[in-house]
Amino acid sequence: MKVGEPEEFIIDGKRLDGRRVDELRPLKIEAGVLKRADGSAYVEWGGNRVLAACYGPREIHPRHEANPQRAVLRTFYSMAPFSVYERKRPGPDRRSMEISKVTRQALESVVFTHLYPMTAIDVFIEILQAQAGTRCAGITAASVALADAGIPMRDLVPACAAGKVGGHIVLDLFDIEDNYGEADLPVAIVPRTGHVSLLQMDGNLTQEEFEQAFKLAVEGCMQVYEKQKEALITRYGGDKE
Amino acid sequence: MERKLVIPGEEIAQGKVKLGEGVYRDGDTVYSSVLGLLDTTRGRVRVIPLTGRYFPKVGDFVIGTVVGTIYETAWEVDINCPYSATLNASDYYREVDPFRTPLCQVMSPGATVYAYVREVTPNRRIYITLRQRGCRVIRGGRLVEISPAKVPRVIGRKRSMISMIVKETGCRMLVGQNGIVWIMGKPEIADLVERLVKKIEAEAHTSGLTDRIKETIVKEREKYEGR
Repeated sequence: MKVGEPEEFIIDGKRLDGRRVDELRPLKIEAGVLKRADGSAYVEWGGNRVLAACYGPREIHPRHEANPQRAVLRTFYSMAPFSVYERKRPGPDRRSMEISKVTRQALESVVFTHLYPMTAIDVFIEILQAQAGTRCAGITAASVALADAGIPMRDLVPACAAGKVGGHIVLDLFDIEDNYGEADLPVAIVPRTGHVSLLQMDGNLTQEEFEQAFKLAVEGCMQVYEKQKEALITRYGGDKE
Repeated sequence: MERKLVIPGEEIAQGKVKLGEGVYRDGDTVYSSVLGLLDTTRGRVRVIPLTGRYFPKVGDFVIGTVVGTIYETAWEVDINCPYSATLNASDYYREVDPFRTPLCQVMSPGATVYAYVREVTPNRRIYITLRQRGCRVIRGGRLVEISPAKVPRVIGRKRSMISMIVKETGCRMLVGQNGIVWIMGKPEIADLVERLVKKIEAEAHTSGLTDRIKETIVKEREKYEGR
């Protein structure tokens, strides 16, 4: 059920879903869940359910999009009609095209595209269920799917949001906080170098608040990164020679 | 030998080392760029990929399907990789004159070839040839697709796996580096070999696989002969 605006966001140091201010929602990542795709990943992040599939490098169609110097990374973010309370009209819209674009830019910086000129690497992100923070969950899933597809990349890209609700800086907003909070700050990083590959802000933060939220989000990303690595090791590790 | 599983971005070496495939250097440190197994033998570091598409290397034998002709003098062949390969009329196993006999009469689209990768140019043009020992046009049989990363396991060390299967079942079999396997034999034998190839693909990471596959063949043969 969709809930209205709460009076208080933080009661006795606990958030509405019982988390601390610097705590992530429960996160589960699984790699290689799809048989037909070259690589895939499934992410359950709180109430978010995200499936990412990666194809490629493969022949590019339409041909004129090909780049003779490097592979073209194409990302498609899409929300299932049943992913939200009110049925979402299927198909691309302004929001999903924006998210596809920022996801592509977040991932492009780590993929060694110059190795495969004239090809395309396609990443499909399907949001099966949404509970705020789907772009972060999508990027997280997509980078695991890319690694699962055996695509050479500098690092995995974890993403995590921070924000401000009821005057407090909190990590990883869920839907009520996102809808009625003051600000949302999704961040994706390249952990090895510390580079930022996605940074967006919805709402207003002062400079101090921004710095605090950004630091918190990066810490969240590092936790997500550990889960990503774990997922890949579980998929390919175990009794491997 | 125990090899370590590495994931993209994992630090694998420091300082002056020779780099193989699947790694990259940033400053003084070497990192893995793909998901795979770390191999530091033979004086260089490389990562053996565990997944991924096939990329042609000169010297590979591949199985491809003719798609059509290019400029009347060459065939275009799909070899299960992001770039299509070219098979020139002069690379056909015997002399053909494309101006006397149209190439589509020599080999029409849909024909299957077991070919050798002769050249891979920097701009990713791939030339294959049938003028190499063992290369030929394949007729009959069936094609099975497996993950290119698992091909070495189907072949086995010094071809042990494939020669064992051929010896035990009496089928004919060719394995392309691009993950296409050709099997020909009686229907039930071919069915069995196809199952075996899929089994090898699924259990590629386990040891003692050749012996287990042999056991399966012996068991299946008893069933078959007992009937």
